[in-house]
Amino acid sequence: MNMILAVMYREYRIRTTSMTWLFYDLLMPLTYLLLFGLGLDRAFAGGVQTQGGPVSYNAFFLAGVLSMASFGIAINTAYGFFVDRDNGIFYEFLTYPMTRPQFLIGKIVFNCLMSLMQAAITISVGVLLLEIPFRWERAFFVFAGVVIGTAGWFFFLTTFALRIRRNDMFNMFINVAYFLLMFASSLFYPLDSLPAWLKSAAQLNPLTWHTDVLRYATVGIGSVDIIAAEAIAFAVFLVIAFWFAVRALKYSVLK
Amino acid sequence: MNEIAIAVDNLVKVYKEKSATPVRALDGLTLQVRKGEIFGLLGRNGAGKTTLLRILTTLIPPTRGSVRVSGFDVQKEGLSVRKSICVVLQENAAELYLSVKDNFATYARFHSVPREEFKVRLHSVVEQFGLRDYLNQKVIDLSGGLKRRLQVAKVFLVDRPIVFLDEATTGMDPINKRATLNAIREQARMGRTVLLTTHILEEAEELCDTIAIIDHGKCIATGDLPTIKSRVSPVYDLAITFESLDASTIQQIQSLPVLKFSHGENTVEMSVKGDPLSTLNLVTELAKTHKIIHFEANSASLEDVFLELLETKGVQS
Repeated sequence: MNMILAVMYREYRIRTTSMTWLFYDLLMPLTYLLLFGLGLDRAFAGGVQTQGGPVSYNAFFLAGVLSMASFGIAINTAYGFFVDRDNGIFYEFLTYPMTRPQFLIGKIVFNCLMSLMQAAITISVGVLLLEIPFRWERAFFVFAGVVIGTAGWFFFLTTFALRIRRNDMFNMFINVAYFLLMFASSLFYPLDSLPAWLKSAAQLNPLTWHTDVLRYATVGIGSVDIIAAEAIAFAVFLVIAFWFAVRALKYSVLK
Repeated sequence: MNEIAIAVDNLVKVYKEKSATPVRALDGLTLQVRKGEIFGLLGRNGAGKTTLLRILTTLIPPTRGSVRVSGFDVQKEGLSVRKSICVVLQENAAELYLSVKDNFATYARFHSVPREEFKVRLHSVVEQFGLRDYLNQKVIDLSGGLKRRLQVAKVFLVDRPIVFLDEATTGMDPINKRATLNAIREQARMGRTVLLTTHILEEAEELCDTIAIIDHGKCIATGDLPTIKSRVSPVYDLAITFESLDASTIQQIQSLPVLKFSHGENTVEMSVKGDPLSTLNLVTELAKTHKIIHFEANSASLEDVFLELLETKGVQS
C-alpha cells in the first residue's frame, strides 16, 4: 500500500506543477459538453431518438463526454511513460522497491481520482445549467464506471506506450486510435441510426460498451440485459489490458 | 567483511536470442562481492558492465546462470532484491519538472524514509553535495553536472545495504567528484556494499577494495589492486637523476631493454619490464659507472595493467 501511495504522491506532485494540465483534466470535458454538446443540442432540437423515446442531445451526450474524458486521462497518463523515459527516471523507477503492478496501480488510482473529480464537476454543471435529467440514485454506478473506464483505457494504452518506443509513432497511434474508436462507437450518436457495417464494428468497440453503461447509469437509456453484457465485456477488457500492461512493463527495458 | 553481498555464477545474457543476429553481452561471468566492500567493475565500452548492472538491479532478466543480491535470486525474488538496493544509472534520471527538494522527497517516499528522518538526512546530503542553494529550483533549470549530482545524492538519502553506481561521477566537476568519492568511502565504512562501474581508472584505483575487469562478457581478472597488478608481467616506471648526463650515458641506457624512454638535462625517465630484482640490478649497473643523485621507482598504474590485460586476454577471447 505504501508504494501505491508513493506513486500517487509522485503523480500528485507532478500534476500540480502545471495549471494547464489541471485545467485539461478537470474542466475540459465540461467545456466539451457546454460548447459541442450545446451546439448539437440546438441542432437536434427534437432530441435523439432512442428505443425508450426521444431524449435531449445534452442528456444523451453526457455519457459520451464522461467516456471521452476517461479516455483522455488515460492517454495523458500513458503518455507520461514517454516523459519519464525522456527524463531517464522511468528506468530508475523500475529499480525502486515496488512491484510492476503496484507502479501501474499507483499511477492509475491517482488518475482515477482526477476522473472522479472531473465527472463530478461535469455532471453537476450539466444538471444545473443544461437541465440534464441525471439519475442520482445511480450515481455510484456512474462513478464506478468512470473509474473502471479510466483504468481499462490506461492499461490498454500503457501496453502501446511501452512497446512503441518512439514518441511520434505513439502520437500517430493515439490519433488514429482516438479517431476510429470515437467515431465507431455510441459516443456521439445512437448505434441504431448507423449503417449495418459501422454498427457491427461499433458493437465490438470497448468504448461503446463503456459509453452505453455510463449512459444507462446517467440518464437510463438502454436495456438491462445488453448493459450487463457490455459491463462484463468491459471488465474482461480491463483484466486483459492489465495483464498485457504488466507484461509490457516487465519487459520494457529489453532491447 | 567475508559475507557475500552479490554472487554471480556463470551468468549469460544474450539479447535478441531468437533473432538471426543474437548479441552475447555476458558470457559465463562469475564474480562475488563481499559485504561492506567497494567493488569496481572495469571494462571497455560494450564489455558487458551495464548489462550486468541491469541484471543485478532487476531491470532485465538473465538468459542463464545464477545471480543473487543480498541472498535473493534476481529473477524469483525481484522485489526483495529491490528492497535491498539503491541505484544510480548511467542515464541521467530526475523529475525535471519538480524542484530539487521534491525530487529528494519523492525518492525518500519510495524508499520509506520516515518524514522526520528525511529532514535530518536531507540537511546532511545537500550539504555534502553542495545542493543547498538549489533546493527550490526546478531540475529542468539546472546544469547537467548539477542534475547528475542530484541523482547521485539521492542514493545517500536512504540506507539500503547495497549501492550500485554506474559511471556516477560522469559530468561532475573535480570538487563534486571528490565529494562523491568521499561519500562513497563513508558509506562503505558504515557497512554498505558499493558496486561501481567507471572509466576513470584513477578513481577505481583510489576507491576500490576489489576490482574486476570484464571483457567480451567475461571476467578476465579480479582481486584487490596488487593481485590485479600481479596478473600482468610487472612494469616499473623509473626516474633517475644523474650528476651529469652525457650522450654516451643516454646511448648506454637506450641499449637496455626499456619500454619507454625520455630524458631531460640530467634526468631520464623510462619504463622497464621485469621483476623487482632485475629492475634494481639495472639501476645498480648504471650506478657503477654514473653517479646517481636521485632515484624514483613506481609500479605500473591500473591503467597500464588494464590496457595490457585487455590486449592479451581480450585478443585471446
